[in-house]
Amino acid sequence: MRPFKYTNANDATSAVNLSAGNANARFLAGGTNLLDLMKEDVERPDELIDITRLPLTQIKPISVGTNQGGLSIGGLGKNTDAANHPLVRQNYPLLTQAILAGASGQIRNMATNGGNLLQRTRCPYFYDVAMPCNKREPVGPSSRNGCGALEGINRMHAIFGWSEKCVAVYPSDMAIALAALDAVVRVSSAGGQERMILFADFHRLPGDTPEKDNNLNHGDLITAIDLPKNNFADHSSYLKVRDRASYAFALLSVAAALELAGNRIVQVRIAMGGVAHKPWRALTAEKMLVGKEATEANFKLAAAAEMAQAKPLEHNKFKVELGNRTMVEALQLALDGNRS
Amino acid sequence: MREKDKVTGTPVSRIDGILKVTGKADYSTDHPVKNVAYAVLFKSTVAAGTITNIDTTEAEKSPGVLTVITHKNAPKLNVKGGIRGGAMLQSPAIEFYGQHIGMVVAETFEQARHASHLIKVDYDKAAPKVDFEKLAGEAVPSKDHQDEKRGDTKAALSAADVTVEEVYATPIEHHHPLEPHATIAEWNGDHVTLYNSSQIINGAQNAAAATLGIKPENVRIVSPYIGGGFGSKGGQWANLVLCAVAAKMVNRPVKMALTRQQMVNSVGLRQRNYQKVSLAATKDGKLTALSHEITTHCAIHDEFVEPCGDCSRIMYDTPNSLISYRVVPMNLILPTYTRGPGKSTGSFALESAVDELAYKLKMDPIAFRLKNEPARDPSNGKPWSSRATVQCLNEGAKAFGWEKRKLEPRQNQQGNYLIGYGVACGTYPAHQNKSSAIVKLKREGSDVTAIVELAAADLGTGTYTILAQTAADALDLPMNKITVKLGDSDLPPAAGSVGSVGATSYANVVNDACIKITNDLIARSGKQYFTRPTASQLMISEKVSDYQVRVDSKAPDNADDYSSHSFNANFAEVRVNISTGMVHVSRFLAVTGAGKVLNPKTARSQIIGGNIWGIGMALTEESVVDPRWGNFVTRSLADYHVPSNLDIGTMEVIFIREDDTASNKMGIKGIGEVGIVGVAGAVANAVFNATGKRVRDLPITPDKLL
Amino acid sequence: MNEGNETPQLTEDEKKLFEELMPEDLAEIIDTGVNRRHFLKLMTLLGGGLLAYQSAAAEQVFARSPSVPLVSDAPATLENGVTVSFNVNGASRKLMVDSRMTLLDTLREKLELTGSKKGCDHGQCGACTVIVDGRRVLSCLTLAASCEGRSVKTIEGIAQGNASLHPIQAAFLKHDGFQCGFCTPGQICSAVALLDEAKNGDASYVTKDVRKKSGPVRLSNEEIRERMSGNLCRCGAYPNIVAAIQEVHSGKLVEQTWNLIG
Repeated sequence: MRPFKYTNANDATSAVNLSAGNANARFLAGGTNLLDLMKEDVERPDELIDITRLPLTQIKPISVGTNQGGLSIGGLGKNTDAANHPLVRQNYPLLTQAILAGASGQIRNMATNGGNLLQRTRCPYFYDVAMPCNKREPVGPSSRNGCGALEGINRMHAIFGWSEKCVAVYPSDMAIALAALDAVVRVSSAGGQERMILFADFHRLPGDTPEKDNNLNHGDLITAIDLPKNNFADHSSYLKVRDRASYAFALLSVAAALELAGNRIVQVRIAMGGVAHKPWRALTAEKMLVGKEATEANFKLAAAAEMAQAKPLEHNKFKVELGNRTMVEALQLALDGNRS
Repeated sequence: MREKDKVTGTPVSRIDGILKVTGKADYSTDHPVKNVAYAVLFKSTVAAGTITNIDTTEAEKSPGVLTVITHKNAPKLNVKGGIRGGAMLQSPAIEFYGQHIGMVVAETFEQARHASHLIKVDYDKAAPKVDFEKLAGEAVPSKDHQDEKRGDTKAALSAADVTVEEVYATPIEHHHPLEPHATIAEWNGDHVTLYNSSQIINGAQNAAAATLGIKPENVRIVSPYIGGGFGSKGGQWANLVLCAVAAKMVNRPVKMALTRQQMVNSVGLRQRNYQKVSLAATKDGKLTALSHEITTHCAIHDEFVEPCGDCSRIMYDTPNSLISYRVVPMNLILPTYTRGPGKSTGSFALESAVDELAYKLKMDPIAFRLKNEPARDPSNGKPWSSRATVQCLNEGAKAFGWEKRKLEPRQNQQGNYLIGYGVACGTYPAHQNKSSAIVKLKREGSDVTAIVELAAADLGTGTYTILAQTAADALDLPMNKITVKLGDSDLPPAAGSVGSVGATSYANVVNDACIKITNDLIARSGKQYFTRPTASQLMISEKVSDYQVRVDSKAPDNADDYSSHSFNANFAEVRVNISTGMVHVSRFLAVTGAGKVLNPKTARSQIIGGNIWGIGMALTEESVVDPRWGNFVTRSLADYHVPSNLDIGTMEVIFIREDDTASNKMGIKGIGEVGIVGVAGAVANAVFNATGKRVRDLPITPDKLL
Repeated sequence: MNEGNETPQLTEDEKKLFEELMPEDLAEIIDTGVNRRHFLKLMTLLGGGLLAYQSAAAEQVFARSPSVPLVSDAPATLENGVTVSFNVNGASRKLMVDSRMTLLDTLREKLELTGSKKGCDHGQCGACTVIVDGRRVLSCLTLAASCEGRSVKTIEGIAQGNASLHPIQAAFLKHDGFQCGFCTPGQICSAVALLDEAKNGDASYVTKDVRKKSGPVRLSNEEIRERMSGNLCRCGAYPNIVAAIQEVHSGKLVEQTWNLIG
């Protein structure tokens, strides 16, 4: 861990301004990923701006605007509190399940909602500074560029949307549910602007710039995550497949949500984790299912169509079949419903 | 003492437990040594070659840094002094990825860690030998393990009614004790105290002394509490002596702990094994041939091969048998003993093959085993000192509800889960090793207390407790009158807590010492007694205020006339998620015959611990090497999956009552190792029974069941 | 055949001893485990007994108090020093730390509270778990500098009133919820916090229906397993850990079974 200056921010404006003044400064919220990476010498900030005391922790119904009737979750609230808030549990059980599928009780008590979106990949080549990695050392004339995983051990890696520069996957569970819920990320920027970023536009595919995980600019502060009102609460499910029963990152996960009229699918959302550099919305599958009967046969057709587009790597070919099965099972669980 | 008054054999809670639940048990780096500096190791980032330049200037200038030690300025050490795995900064040669190449010593840990990232190293790289899949074909006969042949397995295989010939693969595993290897070194003149974790106190003392070139009596090992070892703290590794070197060079105490990431290439590993098992049987299920051919890897200059063929030598009666080991040197750290060395991995191969054979024969796998039970040790013809395999299988079957198992797989589905039952047997040798102990008696008025001292280790095995129990019975004192001192090389030398010899060796010597102290006191009194008085009665009646004896014990002279082993049978129930392939061991039963059980509470825990290790081996644990560079890509506890609490279902333990006095006076056989043996086999067999899919390459991760 | 089933918290011998010598304390002992007062009383009464063998260790536990001054100075070489005041186990602490120093290293290296363990230093094992402002967190991923004004409880502060074990500690002892003991401080801090989480009605990944939140929840063993999965135990004491927590959480004795056959 490189030496760094520790600064306390008193309010959101000063936090953003402090950060804008130092390109090498980072916000410290839960710290669960940032400190981990600093100890590995992957992250090398020279200043940490502690934002844990900013009053951005509230969870409250949205009373105006496009998402009226939805719920706004403070960017600096803890994952535990988001998962257990009565309104989240009642109206967005998919989010509760996804948060609780991640990490451990201790880590969820520390990790913030905004920070969760900014988790960096768990790719072992990214984590080990002795390994080549385009995400850690951006592609450039002087870099030892190359992706260690592309032709290395890539069992955990992407099957959708990867590039020759990077095959890493994004590790958050919470964000998979947020993708399915079409959440909106509220951001404060230097100079006092507020931006709203649609969730689908928040994270990026690696392309030629794998060092950029998302579309935030330096100094941007996530103040809240807005959840639009929906009719999915009775029929949603987050299913996570991993190498051990708990406290492990996903091999693959599926967030599935159905809005039904009788047994006909009015709306469906499917997002996958552990398959791409960002939460992967299964739009092909969704399109195939809208208006159809919610049957296992239709789920299978939709999953197969989605997974047919996968481009697996040497060690993760299993993810195609696993994606098929997990998507069908997640939809089935969603159909069976959340007893309420 | 009346049998019912004895505390041995009763489920006493651990006497060191109160320290452990209050955070007051001192592990290696917890000892309150003043004025410590902190050392952090740095490691090679190539697997083979030579360091051509190592630039430490920036690190040396970094705030707080006291010194940077590399092969250029490290003192000369005796690399043959008994430290395992090399990497002692004696030359620029690199033999494996992650070899220690230096250390930074600084005022604080933060400063040392940061400076360790400022070292610049140039290498003359050589092509590393790290891809076992490709190199396995180059394996040559092991130096340490000769081929062992009886009869003609080839002929028997070709003549047989039914055969199984399959290769079973097990991955590299790491011990990953929760406490990483760590040391505080404190010099006082030419005498060094090393606070560290050691399963073999005197082994650590001798290896450190010989390597540092000082007398053993000038090295003191202090290791009262050990945060798990599982074999990795049996032999000692470079970090122990390097910490002493650092302390000498900065002339003050130094604390050095391996990071979790450094553990993967610092303190050994369980090697990857390809095991070809060939079985032949008659139609009615009599085994006619068993061959077990092992191919594995070792370090470039040092051979260590875990004995995967050991179970196959003794488990089944067969006229034709072959055990062989082939090994290829690789640029990986030296493999070492890992819980149930050889037997845990070997039994996976053997017991899977037996299950496959029984299935081909349409025989119940328990019936097959009972039919091939050997009356004597097939490897040497010796009688068993005791062997409970038959009882383990029969009692286990009854307790587990084995009769509910279907012979055909995929017959038991509940909702989205396939349920399966599996059984597998295991064994581990029993030995008593040489140990010494001092027992001291003190009397104040009519209050007699005892102190038991020996350089034994308690790495969670319950040693403190069982020795207090043993001494309490042998001296006829209440347990609270007995203090047990362990884990210090200033105490009488003792066997290591390795290879399941600990309880046997320690309890016997303590018992012998208690008998001797009583005999001495009787002789000293010069009186004749109708009933043998207890030591405590003698202290009072003869008004002795202090008395002590030292005893050296070893195995009985005729112990070698017998073949002595612990035996078990393991029963697993698995639930396999049909959609995701995730396997859960919902129920597990281990039935064990392991001699006298000194404390059923701690013994049960030990067996369950071994079982959970076996479940990890079966389902979750795997260290993966990048075949291009020789680094581990699974270098953290997020990547290397030891089982979590949720991975474990209902665990049941049954002990078969045994009192194996042919093996040693106390009748103990040891339980630390046998608990893992046969477990992975039972789980894999249950997965087959559930799904019809035979996985021969551990671990059974979800992808293998799609 | 199966003659070894013994149910209660204490062994028969232990129970008999307490019954004979300290009948008035038996209920309390079964309820909350053995505390220092019981030890001392037992020792006085008999100078013996089967549980009092732990007395020497108990003395050590309750006698040792931190020798660290309440305010400690920074070494001269410190860069980026941050002065931080927080409460540790009921005592106010003010000290200067390197901005890089974690709460774990601060506890262990500066405050002589070595009960919290460094198993991985990366939030992947749980051995460093402490309770900050009433919640279990990982001290290895917490900067000391960020703890200004916080209240930290470590394993050394779990025992109630510094005189008796917390019920969770007593239950770990009774159910042999550890072997090597290295993960134990983290397991116990985690378990203590878990009891409150259950009282709050918090859900987990294995909760069948997360939608309803209605007061305290009664945890199944599976719920306890999931909620304790952030604390790895390499010795494999999980079933005993679950038994210990379940006993305290449910208030009902969890049976201990020793099966010796033949």
